[in-house]
Amino acid sequence: MDHNALAQEMRGLREQVTGITDTAVAAADGLLIAADTADSIDREGLAAVAAAGLGLARRTTDLASRGALRRTVTYGSRGCAACYAVGDTALMVVLGDEGLDVERLHTATQPALDRIEAILTAKNPESEKTPEGV
Amino acid sequence: MSGTEQDGWGSSGRAGCDLLAAELAACEREEFTGRVRVAGTPGGTLHLRGGLVVAVESPGSPGPEALLLRSGRVSDEQWAELVREAGGSPWPAAGLIAREYAGAAQLRVVCLMAMRDAVFAIVAGQLDDCERDAEAEPAAPSPYGESPWRLLQDADRRLAAVETLACPVSPDRERTVAAPGAEWTEGLTALRRELLAHADGRRSARDLAFLTGRGVYAVTVEVARMLGEGLLERVEEPPPIPLSPAAARHGVGQRLRALPLLGPEPDAEERAADPEPPAAEEPAADADDLPRRSPGASGINESVNSQDSQAS
Repeated sequence: MDHNALAQEMRGLREQVTGITDTAVAAADGLLIAADTADSIDREGLAAVAAAGLGLARRTTDLASRGALRRTVTYGSRGCAACYAVGDTALMVVLGDEGLDVERLHTATQPALDRIEAILTAKNPESEKTPEGV
Repeated sequence: MSGTEQDGWGSSGRAGCDLLAAELAACEREEFTGRVRVAGTPGGTLHLRGGLVVAVESPGSPGPEALLLRSGRVSDEQWAELVREAGGSPWPAAGLIAREYAGAAQLRVVCLMAMRDAVFAIVAGQLDDCERDAEAEPAAPSPYGESPWRLLQDADRRLAAVETLACPVSPDRERTVAAPGAEWTEGLTALRRELLAHADGRRSARDLAFLTGRGVYAVTVEVARMLGEGLLERVEEPPPIPLSPAAARHGVGQRLRALPLLGPEPDAEERAADPEPPAAEEPAADADDLPRRSPGASGINESVNSQDSQAS
C-alpha cells in the first residue's frame, strides 16, 4: 500500500471541504489503518465503532430492502460523523463540526473513495510496510 | 453571474468582494427575495428579503446556534428541549427569550454578528461563482434586514484590518500551533488560553472559532496578534498521518484482500459489543496471518459500560 498516497487523499479531503475536522481509514473488521485525528479522539475506538455501525447499517438496508448502503451519517449537537464503505473490505470515517456542508462532503468523498480503495488494494509488495508518518 | 476562482485574501486583493458586490447590488436594486449561493471555499448562502439580507450561512463561520451552544450560554440539553417545544424549528427564538437564556435584543445581535462574520468568511475565501436561487427559509433569520452594501463594506473593512496586522493570517487556510511554553505567559486572556489549548497544528482560525464559540473574525485577529507576539507559530507542514501500529506491522493491501467481503455479517458489531477487557498487546502475528483487531482493544466497551452504570 502506498502510505503517502493514502495520507495525501485524507489530507486533501480535509483541505477540500471546509468543516472536516478528522478522518480515519479502517479495515471492515475495525482494524485502524491510518488516522488524521486530533489527540482527543480515540482512534482505535472510532475505527471499531465505525465498522460496527456500518455493519449494522448495511444489515438494516438489507433487511428493509433499501438497496445498497451508501453511507451513514450520525448527527450530534456539535457536528457529525459520516462513515463510507471503501470497497468491500474497508471504510472511511469523516468527522465534521457544525459548519460542515454534508451534501458537499458526499460529493467530494465519492471520487476520493475510489482512489482510496485503489490505494488500499494495490498490489505493491515493496510499499506494503511503510511505518513512517506522512 | 460567474467568476473564476477569485480570492479575497492576500496579495490578489479583495476581488472576491467585487464578484459578490455586483450580484448583491443587483439584488438590492431589484428588491430580490430569495437566496444567493456563493460557490467556493468556504462559500455560503445569503438569504434576502426585498433586497435586504436577513441571514447568511457559511461553513467558514459559526452560525447563531453554534455561537450559543459552544459559548455555553445554552446547554445541549436545553437546546434540544427548546427545539422540541418549538415543533422542531431549528431556531427556537421565542423559547430562548421565554426561558430567559437570551433577550430579544441579544438574539438580534447574535444573528447580526453571525451574519457579518459569515460574509467576512465568504469574501476572505475563494469565490468560484454566485447564483440566485428560489427562496429557502434560513435557519435563523434576523428580524431586520441588513443592506448588502453595508455588509460587504463591513467585510471589506475587516479584511483590510487583518491584512494590516504584523502577521496576517487567512481564516481557513493557515494552521497554527502553540509556541513552546506559551501557555505559561502571564496575563493571558481567557480567549488566548483557549486558543493556545486548541491550536494543535491541525486547526485554522476558522476551526478554532467553532471550537471556542467565537466569531471567526475575532479569532482570526487574535491568532494574527498571537503570531506576532510569538505565542503561536505557523505550521508550514501539517503533522504526519501515521499508519496505525498494527497496520504498519502487517501491511495492509494483501490483508484487506484476504478479508471476507462485507455483507450482513455481524463480526464488527460483535467486536464493539464484546465485554472482554482490552488486550495489553497486539498478538504477534505470523507474516501470513490476517491482522485482526483484538476484541475490546479500544476500551470503548469499558467506557460505555462505565457511563451506563453511572447513569443507572
